[in-house]
Amino acid sequence: MHHVVLERWSRGNSAIHRLDPRAKISALLVFLVVLATAHRNLVTLSAGLLMLLLATLVGARLPLAAAVVRAGIVLPFTVVFVCICWWAGDPARGIALLLKSYLSALAVMAVVSTTPLPALMRGMEMTGSPRFLLMVAQFLYRYLFVISEEAQHMSKAAASRGATSRGLIGSTSRGRSRFRAAAGALAVLFARSYGRAEDIHRAMLARGFQGRFRTLGALRFRTADALFAVLASLAPILWRVAVEKVR
Amino acid sequence: MGAAVHIPDGFLATPVWATLDAAAVPAAGFIVRRAQREFDEGKVPLLGVMGAFVFAAQMINFPVGIGTTGHLVGGALLAFTLGPAAASVVMAAILAIQALIFQDGGILALGPNVVNMAIVGVLAGYLPFYLWGGGKWRKLSLFAGGTLSVLVSAVLALAELAISGVKMPASVLGVSLALFLVSALLEGAITLAVIQALESIQPRFVREPAAGRSFALGAVSLGAVLLAAVGVLFASTGPDGIEKLGRQAGIASHARTLITTPLSGYKVAFLSSSWLSKAGAGLAGLALIYGACLLIGRAVSRNRSV
Repeated sequence: MHHVVLERWSRGNSAIHRLDPRAKISALLVFLVVLATAHRNLVTLSAGLLMLLLATLVGARLPLAAAVVRAGIVLPFTVVFVCICWWAGDPARGIALLLKSYLSALAVMAVVSTTPLPALMRGMEMTGSPRFLLMVAQFLYRYLFVISEEAQHMSKAAASRGATSRGLIGSTSRGRSRFRAAAGALAVLFARSYGRAEDIHRAMLARGFQGRFRTLGALRFRTADALFAVLASLAPILWRVAVEKVR
Repeated sequence: MGAAVHIPDGFLATPVWATLDAAAVPAAGFIVRRAQREFDEGKVPLLGVMGAFVFAAQMINFPVGIGTTGHLVGGALLAFTLGPAAASVVMAAILAIQALIFQDGGILALGPNVVNMAIVGVLAGYLPFYLWGGGKWRKLSLFAGGTLSVLVSAVLALAELAISGVKMPASVLGVSLALFLVSALLEGAITLAVIQALESIQPRFVREPAAGRSFALGAVSLGAVLLAAVGVLFASTGPDGIEKLGRQAGIASHARTLITTPLSGYKVAFLSSSWLSKAGAGLAGLALIYGACLLIGRAVSRNRSV
């Protein structure tokens, strides 16, 4: 699964990996807002911001080419709209969509691939996001792979029994029975997930779970983190001010 | 054939994403509080694992015909099994993970996406079940719930894009609405089939519609559907988006004078830079929206607890 890559990258050990997640989150938000609200000289602005992101990726010792390609996940969606804008006679907006969506995705990826998810969630919790929601998100991420694997096993088992959902136009009665079989599989997956969740809950209670996660080692916001947050926030702002001065 | 529109960053105009972000924060807070009242904190693994289930459900393909397949989106199914508040929390968590890990949907656009799919979509999906889930229309209400949940969130997303000035010719708009309608009907069929299969395994999985009866929730759900209806009208008639709307109503100039007047005497050189003053005005507006949503949320939850 492709997102395992991100997980591996986030376990790296560079100066950027070691920064406090709050510093990275605040810098990311400033970056995104500066980019999202920009209108003038967008190409020059984007070029500078791209350099900034690439420098961050190099600083974090991430594989540059792979990271640049990975952020392209956003492109299929964007390209559709670029074509629509082009067709509607507004190519400038299409280019703006392309630049903004790609750079935003790359920026988010730069943060997520240098911060393990538990640390990221903890950082978000300390900036005021509802803890319950973040805990649900963390459980979701933890069991994503487990339940997905179960679903894969089920569909593989169904396929080996001869169920092909991609068959050519069959008789409607056969299509209907396939539909019902898929619904049954999904219901079984639901029931198994529900049961698994109850088991997990009991196991956690037995280990003294009291409704909140505890992380080993408290987060410490050091001078270096503050320095990074200020510098990394100022860089895109100053660049945009400079770009907009040029007429 | 997936039906979810995850808006990436850079697509929405600043007023649109900022307003919806400001509205999403207190709304998410309200929904989380409601879910917490129904599921104590210890039950948090259940919601997380069910979120993972919705993710994994994409791997099970449903034959649609002519060689294509579709899959479950899940908002309505979760609402029928876990209750609307918990379903909203799970969908919001899914959207957050998708935005962070899969770059599917933006971070600044997380507010709009959460409003479209996790809040309005789930509530709109729950509405038919809430109204008719107990009676003889039960099957129809399950089907309609699945259909509405996808249709309403897709229409909202389209409307937001149109308001933001992403020009969509009428033909493109028509084709995409037709596609959304088909995948919404598919979601309705899948939801109904899965609920029926679930009931034959274990009837306690599906909630009684009376279990979560509350006036506030019904009103909000109805509002959700109406909002989408307005969205469709707006998207089809006003393709020039927010500038036109602003010009018609004179809102933009009005707001600017309103907000800058108290500051006009103190206009320092720093504020005279156009986009900084605009940003300041925008922030003041957002604070207002945030405050209003917070107050409404408080009032609703207080009414409930009395």
